[in-house]
Amino acid sequence: MKVTQWINKLSLNQKLAALLFVLGVVALFAGNPYGGAKATIDAQELALIVEKQADHVSAEDLADWIIQNRADYRLIDLRTEPEFAAYHIPTSECIQLPNLLTSDLQRNEKIILYSEGGIHSAQAWFLLKAQGFKSVYMLFGGLAEWQEKILFPQIPENATPEQLNAFQKIAEVSKFFGGAPQTGSEPAALQPKPSLPTPALPSGAVNPKIQTKKKKEGC
Amino acid sequence: MNAPWYKYGLFNDEISLVVAVLIGIGFGFFLERAGFGSGRKLAAQFYFTDMTVLKVMFTAIVTAMVGLYYLSVIGYVDLSLVYINPTYLLPQIVGGLILGVGFVVGGYCPGTSCVSAATGRYDGWVYLLGFVAGILFFGELFPLVEKFYVTTDMGKVTLPQLLNLPYGLMVFLVCAMAIGAFAAAEWGEKKMAAKNQGEIK
Repeated sequence: MKVTQWINKLSLNQKLAALLFVLGVVALFAGNPYGGAKATIDAQELALIVEKQADHVSAEDLADWIIQNRADYRLIDLRTEPEFAAYHIPTSECIQLPNLLTSDLQRNEKIILYSEGGIHSAQAWFLLKAQGFKSVYMLFGGLAEWQEKILFPQIPENATPEQLNAFQKIAEVSKFFGGAPQTGSEPAALQPKPSLPTPALPSGAVNPKIQTKKKKEGC
Repeated sequence: MNAPWYKYGLFNDEISLVVAVLIGIGFGFFLERAGFGSGRKLAAQFYFTDMTVLKVMFTAIVTAMVGLYYLSVIGYVDLSLVYINPTYLLPQIVGGLILGVGFVVGGYCPGTSCVSAATGRYDGWVYLLGFVAGILFFGELFPLVEKFYVTTDMGKVTLPQLLNLPYGLMVFLVCAMAIGAFAAAEWGEKKMAAKNQGEIK
């Protein structure tokens, strides 16, 4: 009874100060706040996404987005820096797997990953998904497919008029990225492997803003 | 849905601007209600006759600290995603002194001058123009001070990291410090009131 009487005597400010003191004392034993928010994986949901291939972006779609100058995604190259320097898809940034989670990528950004084949990007995809990143995608087939489909597209043998039409379209795209459409009739294996174009886009093709957009935080 | 909401993608860039406006209006409203639209009240802080500024600011600090601490202990907030201003010790001490001198002389800090201007006070508007001019001035001079601006870089450091203390202990110490400061402020206000009354008589 005495305690309640004592509490009643306190002013509101004194009550709040007492509450603060109690919270402070409890904090002594409540532990470290960092690492409190552990991400949980809904394995079934992830499996379904993989099954439906909703986690993929095709090389053609990506090429379209780059040509359209879209800036609503971030393209991440997971390969090593020398490889990145030798060739990378325009607008991409080089972030390797170990640095992925400490990078400035945000959970609400649309992120497209690519590596040489597809293994590293698939692993990175799971890492980011497990960390609660919303929209993470992989470039289907990785850089290998990008080269095959976009940089050095091959005309099918005995192409039908429809296929020819489609090839003409893709050849335009290929030239935009500095590629070389393969029109020769001999099989691809016999042709010398074409050299990769320089990573730079034709001047003025891509808004330089895309690469420099970075958010400033704080006040 | 975990917090911080923006980083977990609850809303996008555009909505975040709307949220910022709402938070800003709330901030301004409570500053005004605490009496911070008046330069006299704010300046009284520095003559120890009215310690409201210290009490309000310290209350805001401990409320945010205790709130963030407990919300992250229960796993709702991911504290590693909360932005921390990097520390540049020397430039920030110099900047703090410049702000402090301006605060004593003019009676406002940047936030409270906006509140004052919004309530229609002329001195608030003068102050607002002054700090916009100051921003321009600083921006133009920036190449000259740029080297100093980035000296003594300590990174995104927090008190528990710096002092190598457990987080819970740090929370307790800051709470104790706040309660001590509140008690000392009330005591000092009474002392100064008595002293001033003596002078008037």
